[in-house]
Amino acid sequence: MHELLLFASVPQHQHHELLQQLAGLTAMQPRHALERRLIFKAYRKPGLGASRTGGSQDLQASGDLQRVTKMLNGGMFYTQVVGPVAENDFSPSGPDADVQMSGTEGNSAGSAGAYDYEQQPWRLEFRDVPEAGTRSAVTARVMATAALPCGDVVPAMNAWGYHFVTEYVVEGDMFTYGDIVLFLHRVLHYPSTSLEDKEPRKHLPALSEMSVMEKSGSYVLQASMTVLDGSNQETMKTASRHLFALREKLRSAVKLEMADRLSLDTRAK
Amino acid sequence: MVRNSSPMSLLPSHTNTRSSLQSQATIISNNLVSVSEHLSDHRDLLSSLVAYPGPDYPGRTQAGILEQLLRTKLDPRVEDWVARGRAAGSGSTPASAFTTSDAASVPAPSALAANDFKPLSDAELAELWAWAPVEANQEARRRNWGGNFTLEEREAGIENVVTGLKRQLEDDEGDEEDEEEEGDGDAEGEDEMEIVGVRRRSGAGTVEFDVAAPHHHKAEPVVPLPEILRYMTTGRMP
Amino acid sequence: MGIAPSHGRLLHPSLRVTAEKKDQPDTLPVEIAQINEQWGSFRDVNEDILQAKIAQEQEQNGAPPSDEEAEETDLDTAERRDRLYKKRNEIIQFAAQSHTEAMFALDFVSLLLSKHAPRQAETSMSPFLKQVAPLGSLNGEVVNPPAKSEAALNDIATVSRGWRIQNFNSASSKLLDAASRLDSEVTAESRYWNEVLAVKAKGWKIAGCHKIVKHSEFSTASLEATPIFRDRGLASLRRSADGALLLDKGLIPAGSRFVRVRVKEGSNISSSSRPSEQNSSNPDSVEYQILQARDSVFEEELYHELVREARAMAPSGVTVRQDHIRVPASDDLEILLDLVDSNDESLGCGRNSSDSENLLADGLAHSIRILLAFAHRQNLHRRTQIPSPLTGKKRPNPEYPLLRPALAYFQHLSYVRRLESFLRDIYGVLHKAGLETPDFTISSFINESKNPGHPAPPTLEVLLQNSLSPVKSVFRGDLLSSGSSFEITVRTTLLAPPLGTAYKVTVNSPAPDFKSPGPLGLREEVEAAIIHILLLDVRPADEDQKATPAEGHFWEPVYPHLGELVLAGQPRKYKKMKVSLSRHELSLSVHRVRKFDALGHGGQEPESQPSRLHVWICNPSEGTTAESSLIDFVSSQTS
Repeated sequence: MHELLLFASVPQHQHHELLQQLAGLTAMQPRHALERRLIFKAYRKPGLGASRTGGSQDLQASGDLQRVTKMLNGGMFYTQVVGPVAENDFSPSGPDADVQMSGTEGNSAGSAGAYDYEQQPWRLEFRDVPEAGTRSAVTARVMATAALPCGDVVPAMNAWGYHFVTEYVVEGDMFTYGDIVLFLHRVLHYPSTSLEDKEPRKHLPALSEMSVMEKSGSYVLQASMTVLDGSNQETMKTASRHLFALREKLRSAVKLEMADRLSLDTRAK
Repeated sequence: MVRNSSPMSLLPSHTNTRSSLQSQATIISNNLVSVSEHLSDHRDLLSSLVAYPGPDYPGRTQAGILEQLLRTKLDPRVEDWVARGRAAGSGSTPASAFTTSDAASVPAPSALAANDFKPLSDAELAELWAWAPVEANQEARRRNWGGNFTLEEREAGIENVVTGLKRQLEDDEGDEEDEEEEGDGDAEGEDEMEIVGVRRRSGAGTVEFDVAAPHHHKAEPVVPLPEILRYMTTGRMP
Repeated sequence: MGIAPSHGRLLHPSLRVTAEKKDQPDTLPVEIAQINEQWGSFRDVNEDILQAKIAQEQEQNGAPPSDEEAEETDLDTAERRDRLYKKRNEIIQFAAQSHTEAMFALDFVSLLLSKHAPRQAETSMSPFLKQVAPLGSLNGEVVNPPAKSEAALNDIATVSRGWRIQNFNSASSKLLDAASRLDSEVTAESRYWNEVLAVKAKGWKIAGCHKIVKHSEFSTASLEATPIFRDRGLASLRRSADGALLLDKGLIPAGSRFVRVRVKEGSNISSSSRPSEQNSSNPDSVEYQILQARDSVFEEELYHELVREARAMAPSGVTVRQDHIRVPASDDLEILLDLVDSNDESLGCGRNSSDSENLLADGLAHSIRILLAFAHRQNLHRRTQIPSPLTGKKRPNPEYPLLRPALAYFQHLSYVRRLESFLRDIYGVLHKAGLETPDFTISSFINESKNPGHPAPPTLEVLLQNSLSPVKSVFRGDLLSSGSSFEITVRTTLLAPPLGTAYKVTVNSPAPDFKSPGPLGLREEVEAAIIHILLLDVRPADEDQKATPAEGHFWEPVYPHLGELVLAGQPRKYKKMKVSLSRHELSLSVHRVRKFDALGHGGQEPESQPSRLHVWICNPSEGTTAESSLIDFVSSQTS
């Protein structure tokens, strides 16, 4: 599958306004989305012992295995594991939040709506480097998505030769406009993020303790479209045309552009 | 989700035309004033000066020009103007009237003209003209020329005003006793509104947004977009 | 925008100083000056030219209106523009003229001064004057002028006072004009916006339109409607001169129309639906007009979708004509759909029956509307999902299920009724024959409830979703054989394959003879299966009942499926009984057979001894009832 994208930076003060404009444009209420995103990085040369041991048993049943193995062995890449979370998965904020936080990892907080890491669904989102030198002014890249077993994904990822780098949370609102998905989002950091974190968190802090990565609180608007067959020039053109039409419509509000190719470089060096 | 735009945002071009017309008129008016000032400054000299062509003036060939320069008669239009002024000033004795019309309604001028007027003496007229500018100025100062609310609305409590707008209008004027000079300039600055209009052309189904003048004081993103995307892709902090 | 003008503080009108107002300002001097400007001198102007000019001017736009009050509207844009240009030219002319005058004055002073300060004076002289008049060629002398006469001074004072009064006057007029214009404008504007707000408060979508000032748009059609109807649903709310809201219908059809549903039984129209009641009494109110516009667009869309669905239903016998849709619902029930003018009184003629008889048509009319609204809702749901990847293929746009659920219902109802009457008949025969077969029960219109998704959709949607799922009815009955029961499931759907009505007959019985026929497609098959089951049931019933009178003698079912029993026990005196059951009768025939024949196939039984044949028939419909009861007959045959 191919993915065509346009991006825009949205200053914080424009966020509310843009939300309303997008709601008007797409004639729908925004769908709020919270996602955990885990970044993994390949540490093994492809083809070296891509074993099927470890946590991959569940995956074999899913039939996604072949694709996943293929995409993960294509080269040395960064890849993302995305898990949708709900607002009440985060610890309730309040005076006792700290107490819960300080509890040992094994202890469940016990409160209602406590986050259950074992039940956390995940999907692997593989994204290739954007195609170079495309004359059209959109970012186009090969993409693939596969469902992963719930719970701890690290063993499975390790088995494929990937190790955990870091994680963050993406918070935003989603709209659909025809075939285009508009995602107005920003990155949230966990409190006191020590980059030495060796594995994904088992517990989530209170949402209010999360801090925005971009200190001014700005958002990123991503307009994306997927094309089943990237080799079909006709559909690719149609998709670009749709994106350009959207860009024109939103021109007076935001400036959607293709992204700097290297900023989306997923190759691990 | 679609916001109504204030009609004020619909008239930018008109406003421009109007203000440029006004500034042109002001320029002309200023020039006229300066000419008039010159003439009155040198009135004594000009009125006691007798000009005549010298011997070296080519009176034979350029008599027309000389006539123009040494004009003794007013231009017909000026003559007419003077005549009209004379008629207005003397034809009927200076007149004014205090009618008892209801203050709350605004009668059409023609209706006023039809009323009976008691003549006003020269002295009364002078008195009126001396009093009026001051009074008008004071009256003007009592008004709130800028701002989002009328005086009546503020007296009744601005929270009761139904604006139909989702955003809150700021009552940025001070209290009504504020006697500071109301310049046009500062009112304009404060009037700057965040107006977002959505226009939908039927049929084509396109929507355009118009965003009013940008806000200079708002924070712009610190981290550039590529850095954010890089972080999201690889986890590398900028 | 409740901005009220502050009337009380407007400049008090009585402060105006009035002067005599001339009815018509004398334009002749102006004309003279213009002519001067254009032709340079009066010498070249004769009467002809002036006449021509006057004629031309009158031809162009009549006498220039001088009264400012009268020059209101009524001028079309072209005329207004002409006038604007004319005024503009006038202004430019005046300005040019005064400029010339001022330049003459400057030239005069400059030439005068050039005698004393040639260098300085030269700079302010016009090039033309420099050309024609040598520097210093004008002399001047300061003389002591005679004092101006009192009259002259008075005259000057009068002129200046007159102008002052007039200028104040005109300024005050303009201010008052502006004030009253603003006043009425504000009133109109507040009225307009208040009415727009009132419309908005009722939940209409309103969008500002930048192109045309004093105009906003609202949408009467659902956003989920087919695009052509979605766009047609846009109407603008314009402002009339006094601020009242005017509905500019644009593409919205004039008049109100509605989709009429008529039910035809046999050749008579038995019921007809009516347009929904308009609850607003005032047909001039904007609200009424908006509602009407909305209804019209909705009805048109409804008809459009009905036609689309009807075309797809052509295989079921649905026909689409120029102006109506004809749907054969069941045996002699036909549904007619058309889009008609709701104000057409003549349509009322078809509706002479009472309201209760119109329930069917009204119910159908409501159901198609509810289903269209539901289809819209589902469109929204689908539209807001993450779209699937783009492929070269066009996304299908399936017809909305509007008629099909109702049709399925009709079809189902008809089939269930037939089956019920069949069962009633056959049970009637059995009961008449003295068999005490327990009555059957019907559970009609059971919805196959699907597992609601997560999160559970709103109740309303579940309800409607159910109405789109197959209609199901179940017949249940116990059999005479102990512990045995049967169940017939009738299932009808027109939305997903298998289309149509399907049956499933199951028997629960410990007896090995009973086998569930399973799914069946045709009514005849079902009826045969029922007869078969009941026949099988009748046989053991006989057995039970006749066992007592004749000990040791049993009617042994040899070919139960054919209803054949044999009375064994007495060698060479075999008796064979053939039981047959139909919708109308139960008959038993008994004859003597040889053992071989008795155990042989009943069908090949030789009719060699017809005299031995004993027949018992129970046929309630024909009134043939046996004089003795079934048990008596069996008993007599047994002995």
